Amino acid sequence: MVAPSDKKPEEVKEAKKDAKDAKGKKDEPKEPELSEEELALKTNLELMVERLSEPDAGVVKLALTSMISEIRSATASMTSVPKPLKFLRPHFDALKARHETMSASQAENRALLADVISILATTKELSREVLKYRLVGSTTELGIWGHEYIRHLSGEIAEEFRVRRDADPAANVDDLMALVRQIVPYHMTHNAEPEAVDLLLEVESLDLLEAHVDDKNYGRTCLYLTSCCAYLPEPDDAAVLRLSYRIYTAQHKWHDALRVALRLNSREDVEATFAACAEPLQKKQLGYLLARHGFAINLEEGPAAVEDDTLRESLREIISNSKLSEHFLALARDLDVVEAKTPEDVYKTHLTEGRAPAGAAAVDSARANLAATFVNAFVNAGFGQDKLVTVGTAEAGASAESVHWIFKNKDHGKISATASLGLVTLWDVEGGLPQIDKYLYSTDPYVVAGALLAIGVVNSCVQNENDPAFALISDYVSNSDLNIRTGAILGLGLAYAGTGREEVCELLTPLVVDSEAPVEVSAFAALSLGLVFNSTGREDVVMSILQALMTRSDVELSTPYAKLLSLALGLLFLGRQELAEATVEVARTLSDRISAFAVATLDSCAYAGTGNVLKVQGLLAQCGEHITADEASAHKNAHQGAAVLGIALIAMAEPLGAQMAGRGLEHLLQYGDANVRRAVPLALALLHCSNPDMLVMDTLSRLSHDGDSEVANNAILGLGLLGAGTNNARLAGLLRGLASYYYKEPTALFLVRISQGLVHMGKGLMTLNPYHTDRQLCSGVALAGVLSVLVPCLDLKATIGGKHHYLLYALAAAMKPRMLLTLDAEGQPLPVPCRVGTAVDTVAQAGRPKTITGFQTHTTPVLLGVGERAELATEEWLPLSPILEGQVILTKNPDYVAMDEGK
Amino acid sequence: MGQNQSGQGGPPGGPGGEKKDQEKKKKYEPPAPPPRVGKKQKKRDTAASLGAKLPTVYPTAKCKLRLLKLERVKDYLLMEEEFVQNQEQLKPQEERNEEDRSKVDDIRGTPLSVGSLEEIIDENHAIVSSSVGPEYYVCILSFVDKTQLEPGCSVLLHYKSMSVVGILSDETDPMVSVMKVEKAPLESYADVGGLEPQIQEIKEAVELPLTHPELYEDIGIKPPKGVILYGEPGTGKTLLAKAVANSTSATFLRVVGSELIQKYLGDGPKLVRELFRVADELAPSIVFIDEIDAIGTKRYDAHSGGEREIQRTMLELLNQLDGFDSMSDVKVIMATNRIESLDPALIRPGRIDRKIEFPLPDAKTKRRIFGIHTGRMTLAEDVNLEEFVMAKDELSGADIKAVCTEAGLLALRERRMRVTQVDFRKAKEKVLYKKKEGVPEGLYM
Repeated sequence: MVAPSDKKPEEVKEAKKDAKDAKGKKDEPKEPELSEEELALKTNLELMVERLSEPDAGVVKLALTSMISEIRSATASMTSVPKPLKFLRPHFDALKARHETMSASQAENRALLADVISILATTKELSREVLKYRLVGSTTELGIWGHEYIRHLSGEIAEEFRVRRDADPAANVDDLMALVRQIVPYHMTHNAEPEAVDLLLEVESLDLLEAHVDDKNYGRTCLYLTSCCAYLPEPDDAAVLRLSYRIYTAQHKWHDALRVALRLNSREDVEATFAACAEPLQKKQLGYLLARHGFAINLEEGPAAVEDDTLRESLREIISNSKLSEHFLALARDLDVVEAKTPEDVYKTHLTEGRAPAGAAAVDSARANLAATFVNAFVNAGFGQDKLVTVGTAEAGASAESVHWIFKNKDHGKISATASLGLVTLWDVEGGLPQIDKYLYSTDPYVVAGALLAIGVVNSCVQNENDPAFALISDYVSNSDLNIRTGAILGLGLAYAGTGREEVCELLTPLVVDSEAPVEVSAFAALSLGLVFNSTGREDVVMSILQALMTRSDVELSTPYAKLLSLALGLLFLGRQELAEATVEVARTLSDRISAFAVATLDSCAYAGTGNVLKVQGLLAQCGEHITADEASAHKNAHQGAAVLGIALIAMAEPLGAQMAGRGLEHLLQYGDANVRRAVPLALALLHCSNPDMLVMDTLSRLSHDGDSEVANNAILGLGLLGAGTNNARLAGLLRGLASYYYKEPTALFLVRISQGLVHMGKGLMTLNPYHTDRQLCSGVALAGVLSVLVPCLDLKATIGGKHHYLLYALAAAMKPRMLLTLDAEGQPLPVPCRVGTAVDTVAQAGRPKTITGFQTHTTPVLLGVGERAELATEEWLPLSPILEGQVILTKNPDYVAMDEGK
Repeated sequence: MGQNQSGQGGPPGGPGGEKKDQEKKKKYEPPAPPPRVGKKQKKRDTAASLGAKLPTVYPTAKCKLRLLKLERVKDYLLMEEEFVQNQEQLKPQEERNEEDRSKVDDIRGTPLSVGSLEEIIDENHAIVSSSVGPEYYVCILSFVDKTQLEPGCSVLLHYKSMSVVGILSDETDPMVSVMKVEKAPLESYADVGGLEPQIQEIKEAVELPLTHPELYEDIGIKPPKGVILYGEPGTGKTLLAKAVANSTSATFLRVVGSELIQKYLGDGPKLVRELFRVADELAPSIVFIDEIDAIGTKRYDAHSGGEREIQRTMLELLNQLDGFDSMSDVKVIMATNRIESLDPALIRPGRIDRKIEFPLPDAKTKRRIFGIHTGRMTLAEDVNLEEFVMAKDELSGADIKAVCTEAGLLALRERRMRVTQVDFRKAKEKVLYKKKEGVPEGLYM
């Protein structure tokens, strides 16, 4: 026992001497600059190092504890190493050697020494020494060493973990996990939730987090988790969402939990959350969220069933959006914009300089009337009254010579004119249907077709309990007239978008596969099915569409209708990721006329809103190909347009990706072929739907003067979508300029008019953006609606610019009021003061940062722009939803004490 | 002098409006798109290319989310690189440009004359004045980038027809480009004797916010905007600034207060504006203003126009330091001997947050400074610097340097290769005598 301990100190001393000599030489000139106390500290520490080699355990222990207390009490600026560590550094090797030689009997001292070495190692650039000595160190609380040390240690644990797992996937990491278990609670209780999450992500055991989340830190933790989701690779992203779902559920934050469940797109979780929330008012609030997202839920039976009849009734009313029209009109009344607007109010021709588009004289008046129809429909959408289609009825009876507006349109123009009635009375099923009904009995097939479409539009996003749409439309689906058929089919699709109604499937599937019917019918039936069953991936529907694509002849597959078929296929798999793989494989085997296009559409739809970089890379490569194609082989590069749209579709998930995708699109403009360039404005519009960003606006405005007329046309429509429902003055000015610029080009002018209508959509109270609820959720129905307009735009002349302009009504599926309406417990609007300002990204920020900046105080109901957030400006009420958007129920704050007004 | 010839109008496929499809067989052709002339439009156009700037990544704290976001940005950039590389291989941009350029050069013709643009009449016509005097009404050729045209700019004119064939653009005031420190000074922190707290403060205030902004974000404070260094002459203020310039990779702009005083009215403030604009453009950057008392003295009722102009220059400086436009990554260092005479508005917190005093060196620092300066000198055995260090004379850093140099010179005069103690003593007397020159010795003793 004595012999070895005698020998060891000598060795140590020698080693130390060497170290000291080396250091002594180097440090000689610096010696004098130390102040008195520094010198004292230094000698003291050196003495302690010296003492370590004493055989007496007690002395060693004393030395160690005083050394530790020196280290712990030291403070330093963030730039330099603390003084004690600086002085101990030269002895690092000596300490290590001493640690090696210390006998096992001094286990306690050994551990303490390991602690010291471990903390000392943070100042050295060594490979995981901190961790190595921490593992053999004492098992005391880690927190005493300070935050910097823990941070260092976490980094090394992650590194070590990776090394071990790389060497052997089943490597034993229990020792590391023990440390992790110590560190995580420390982080969680010290306001460093992001760091805890980071560490657990690195060591692949997120589940440990759950135990340490409480009502104080759950918010920050989940916020961090959910914002990480968009950037994590595939299995992890769902894992973080699941974890935050569990945390929210454990904290009984139903609204948050439901949002995560919807983001996961998992029906069981949504239903479970809905069922778990027992409080009726909160349940109603969840109902509003489901309604906004367009998520159909069964209240009668199944896991989400509601026992109480009255509650069920009111919930059904909320989820079916029945009150939407009423609430929207309340908002309109409050903002004083109920008065109907005429197209001229939108065109504001008196403001355009120089050549005014001279009204009907210059352009064929049918086009002008059609444009006016659309403008009127979009501007007055949802208001239930206008000055063209609804008022005309009474006058038409009174004076014989005044022709009703609908009949001022020609042929297929009448379809859109009649259907505009649906858009004007949007969401108001009870008020709208009687007005539409009489056109069903018209002798003019175009009018009937329009009326059928109008029924569909009125019912879009709203499910009336009497279910009138199906009853009215279903008979016409097999009508002999082609127009009536397409009108009826599209009407059905819009009316039941996102509901997944079985009857619709039964009715329309035969039409898709019917090879006798014109390809047009088949395509529209498929599109409707795509809308109704969007992102469900229903196999029978998929099979029937694939069958249609296989059986159709090459000539038919070269038409734009085939593209609608592919789009329908894509919509079915919207956001379903790898679920679409099998179908993609089948699509590859299709005729070369359409297969490339179908694959591109399907792929991009399946990964829509995921931000999957690999997919973007693939699509970008497709866009970069230069395929020489003449008229006959135009199909060879048709898929490039879809690929461009696909880039936008995938990247639209988060602002960062959207911005970077914008850069990519800029390159496509520069290098791409005509086909690619044509799709770029549409992709930009998709990325910034209803979000009139200045830069994008400028780019599109530049493109709207492009030499290639199709690029220009798409850019014009893109401008419309960009500012849809914002009343953006700058955009309106730009479009007025374009109207006078293109006064002689009918198609361009028509599109300018439509864009003007879109910009003033719903008198500026609506949005088309599929992302809602603080940009966290993407409504599949809304996205499908926008896509059903954008994809046909790839062949703009044959579709929207031709006779299928009524496809524009598909936007009805995406139209939503952009409002904040506060309701009391009875569901009546309740005006309260609230602040509206630009949203601030507060993820992982220190302290309690403000969530909005540059706010203004208003009284609800208020409008919310893109990137804006609201918060209540009063303590009197408490919102039931943490995100103030759409309809929010308020409850009285029990702790509220009214301020004494008299003083 | 910072002037370069503009290329043809924008990148191919850029302002597409200018491109006209020649083969289009159409009865009606839309008129040329509305003109986009002037600087305002230009600013917007450069910004309009969606890829001008990379998105800023939040949060600024070091965490995995930030890493992931940055990786995402990197992924996109890699994809862009790959795409552009592939495209370039197919059809090199250079070649295309070269072709166009040679065509444009043919049209331009040689020789060229320079004129200045007086007024733009419409898209294609302008009035120019040539250097000799007369003014002409001339065409602007289509390939000239009209977004860069603005009244007053220099243009290239065709030698015969005088039509505008190009633009000479000068971006920044040449006065400012001179201020940029191109070659880092040789002095580093190691050459500063003592002054450790000062070095630490300046590092925290100037360098760290540029290199580690997240540290400040973490704790939830805004980093200081600037520092002022003050103290007796020769205590190392400028030296420290040089050391900062030496160690930083940020752009270092240095200017002396007196440089900001200009001959013509309004030139001084303009120079200050220009200085900060350049600093902002080249951000992250450090602006060092030496001898700030030249323009920063307290305001008083000035009677001469010159004084008022100087005060206006200072007001501009005040505005730049903490005005309406936020300067994000620009840090300011000022140095002065007389802090008490500065305008209080200039050194209020928010403009200059930290005031760093440079005291006369104490014995320890003096020893250190002697050590630095004598480090490369050959000293005789008898030299004992302690004598000077311990002396009660008020020696500043600069004085010590002077003493060492003087001693070296004395040795040189006597053709000795070593500097002796006697040399030092003589040198010190000389230096101290010079310092006290003019003050009758023993007056206050």
